[in-house]
Amino acid sequence: MPLPLTAEDRLHLKTLQPQIAASPKGRGQLIPLLQMAQKALGYLPDEALSLVADHLAVTRSEVYGVASFYNQFRFNPPGKNPVKVCMGTACHVRGGEIILENFERKLEIREGETTEDREFSIERVACVGCCALAPVALVGETLHGHMAPSKVEGLVLRVRLEKEKAEREAAHS
Amino acid sequence: MPTLKIDNREINVPAGTKVIEAAERLGIMIPRFCFHPALGSVGACRVCAVAFTEGPVKGIQMSCMIDAQDGMVVSTTDAEAVDFRRHVIEFLMLNHPHDCPVCDEGGHCLLQDLTVAGGHGLRRYRGLKRTHINQDLGPLVQHEMNRCIQCYRCSRYYQEFTGYRDLGVMGIGSRVYFGRSAPGMLESPFAGNLIDICPTGVYTDKPSRYIGRRWDYQRQPSLCIHCSLGCNLTASARYRQVVRHEARPNLEVNGHFICDRGRYGYAYASIADRPRQAMAAGTPGPIVDILAGAREAIQQTVEKHGPGSVAVVVSPRSSLETLAVVKEACGQHGWTGPAAAHTNRQALNRNTAVSCLRPELAVSLAADTEAHDVLVIGADPLNEAPMLALSLRQVQRRGGHVIVIDPRGVQLPFDFDHWAVHPSAMGAILQALIQEIGGHRATAPDTPATFDITKLARRLNASPRPVVVCGTDILTPHEIALAGDLARALRRTHKVAGLFYTLAGANAFAAALLHDQPVSTEAVLDRIEDGGVRLLVAVEQDLWREFPDRKRLQAALKRLDHLVVLDYVDSPLNREAGHFIPTQPLYESGGHWINQEGRLQAASPVMAGGEPIEITGGSDHPPRVFDRRIPGDEPLAAWRAVAALAGEDEADPAPQLKTALADFHPAVNLSTPEATGQRIDLEAIAHDLVESGPAPEPAEDDAPADAVVLLLVDWTFGTEPLSAMAPALTRMEAAPVARLHPDEIARLGLAEGRPVTVSLNGNRLTVPVQADPRMAAGVMAVPRHHLLEWQVFGETRVIVKRSQLKAESE
Repeated sequence: MPLPLTAEDRLHLKTLQPQIAASPKGRGQLIPLLQMAQKALGYLPDEALSLVADHLAVTRSEVYGVASFYNQFRFNPPGKNPVKVCMGTACHVRGGEIILENFERKLEIREGETTEDREFSIERVACVGCCALAPVALVGETLHGHMAPSKVEGLVLRVRLEKEKAEREAAHS
Repeated sequence: MPTLKIDNREINVPAGTKVIEAAERLGIMIPRFCFHPALGSVGACRVCAVAFTEGPVKGIQMSCMIDAQDGMVVSTTDAEAVDFRRHVIEFLMLNHPHDCPVCDEGGHCLLQDLTVAGGHGLRRYRGLKRTHINQDLGPLVQHEMNRCIQCYRCSRYYQEFTGYRDLGVMGIGSRVYFGRSAPGMLESPFAGNLIDICPTGVYTDKPSRYIGRRWDYQRQPSLCIHCSLGCNLTASARYRQVVRHEARPNLEVNGHFICDRGRYGYAYASIADRPRQAMAAGTPGPIVDILAGAREAIQQTVEKHGPGSVAVVVSPRSSLETLAVVKEACGQHGWTGPAAAHTNRQALNRNTAVSCLRPELAVSLAADTEAHDVLVIGADPLNEAPMLALSLRQVQRRGGHVIVIDPRGVQLPFDFDHWAVHPSAMGAILQALIQEIGGHRATAPDTPATFDITKLARRLNASPRPVVVCGTDILTPHEIALAGDLARALRRTHKVAGLFYTLAGANAFAAALLHDQPVSTEAVLDRIEDGGVRLLVAVEQDLWREFPDRKRLQAALKRLDHLVVLDYVDSPLNREAGHFIPTQPLYESGGHWINQEGRLQAASPVMAGGEPIEITGGSDHPPRVFDRRIPGDEPLAAWRAVAALAGEDEADPAPQLKTALADFHPAVNLSTPEATGQRIDLEAIAHDLVESGPAPEPAEDDAPADAVVLLLVDWTFGTEPLSAMAPALTRMEAAPVARLHPDEIARLGLAEGRPVTVSLNGNRLTVPVQADPRMAAGVMAVPRHHLLEWQVFGETRVIVKRSQLKAESE
């Protein structure tokens, strides 16, 4: 199920609408418009696809067909802490698949999806370039080497605790 | 004409033939998934690999991608090629769910056949399979995406061949998904062909899901009788119930496909309320007694009032056998009729079209696709004869051009020019066109300047292959004859100019051959009203649903001494009948039909008559009470029933049928089996019907300026009476609405979405208004929808004054 739009998303959609309406028409404009929409929203919700489809007078299926062909387009909002699990050769050999599965289980989402609170999203990436530390996962910008299933829960908990702490401090000041 | 050698056998094929097709001509079936004769090659599946040992191409190559060339030596059994194909199949099977035991395709699955034939029997891959979520694609097609082997046939067929874009391909690599962007009803009325075209079970027939395997079915070649095109199909029956239609390839008629109306319209034959019991004044009795009673009633009427007091109406959906026996009976006994059209205009329209169709002009539906320019006059292909729209789509795909001159808001799945002109202006435009084609300057009055007749004439004149398509529903006989003149005028400047009429009813062509002077039901009702006709025999003609003036019909039926009805559909008319005799639909009787281009085609009986086990067993288990008889097996083939009414008691009707068919018309020759599937002898049809008959002029000329023409028209789903009984198709129907141009709605003081009431001659019709900017001004189109009591005005084209329209508040 697609995640519901946030207030922020709606705001972005509102600003996107006149931009798309002012763009040139024609089938060749499909990819530039999709890029424009993704830049504004960070991802392509159904509503954005409909905007593009209506503007170019092509069917939703065609827009979705093109968008889903390219890796550059995403249909789920990026999480605030994107989890990137390395699936390069070294990490694959050292059990990267198991790390990915543990993240999926812990966060109760599948690869390519985003948690309902939009805190986490999971992606599989090719080599991140530190094969000596395999298996490797990135949470946000931080790299975690020598990953093990037992470390997954701790990592997720740490991010959540840090968020709570930040919220508390914000409330105090 | 290259000559090549395949498996040590030489063959000569036309240039441009692919190696896979050349092999097929030799009877060598090279495996294929993505290749389809109607769609051509893409080389996506890699399973048609063969070895080229000598000639311009060498090595393992895809036989669907390589044109046959001189000197090629091809081996389909080369060890390397066989091994290659085995690996391709193993690879395609990696993600296949192996759910053949619960898959409806199992037993007629190309993937199943080729997996076994290719020698891939042991599964080596132990990894996880990719899975997909299926979509609800509506009531006709079942989706099961996990079975997909990415041959791309469906998206190519759906998007390229039919021109609809709501189903397509998404994703990339192992995520490739064939479906819609969101679950929902497929928009194309040709979507059912996905079932035939899919080499495995991704798309399967939804209404017949889990009913049986192909080998469980009684399967016979049959015909579609839901419009006049006569598309070929294979009908399947199980447990005395028709359960499935598949397209039967006929490269001269429907190609490889059929429309969804034809594919799913069969339910009427097995529906629970189909009448199977002969009745005398509402009391059931043995059919022999009822037939004898009806015969006696006819004899008494003849004795009292003369033979002309018995009239017969017959339907253009009846088989040639029925029509012939009815004609013979009327001729022999001097009965009135047979009438095989409702109104005088419809009868004349049909006969004019048939008489104008000269042998040198007639083109088949398949030949239409080769036209360069098609001029469509007064026809709405997608709604009246859907497969015609698919043919025209191919014209446009091959670079041809389609121009439609029609007052309705015609929609087609491709770009075309639409001249939305008022029906009364059609004749003048055609006349001007004929003159321009003959080299004379001409103008048609009342034609907007945007419709450039000179340019169109020049275009048709310059076209190497023009075809004129003409409808016979909303036009007048005069315009239909003009369409024929136009094709003839084009022929003077071309070697190949075609003429293609669509008619009303599957066997309308044969119905036109009943008489030189057409008789209509309208004329028969006149005779009933003046007391000349006292007994009416309705043969498979559901006057209640189809006659355009129900009030008049009811009054006329009351004046009759006696009514005899023979039919296989349930209708209030059956209950009015003094004698009702159940007949068999084509699945039980078989028979011959002549399609709108004059092609004689045969349908075989598919099953023995009788109530389906689903009904007798309460949709559970077959009944455990056994009898010598099949319950509900009384219905007779209509021609047998008519022969029994007209002939001697206990006489064998078979010789009677033979003479009736021989005497039917000199153009129709059934004596040799080769005649079936061919066009009848059009030369033998009299070509002066129009001049001799009364040709009513369009009454629109002296109509007041503020009047609109009300057209009762066909829709793809919901208006054809037999297919409208199919539960699967009722979900495809749109609710009936009156369509008008938005300016017209404003001019008439109506409101979009609000109902309008049309009152004419004391009859009323209320229907919601819908704006359609593609409509011509001064026209209102209302469907002959089964949910609408449209049978009010006595005609399907009437003039309505402004004062006769009333906007309803809600």
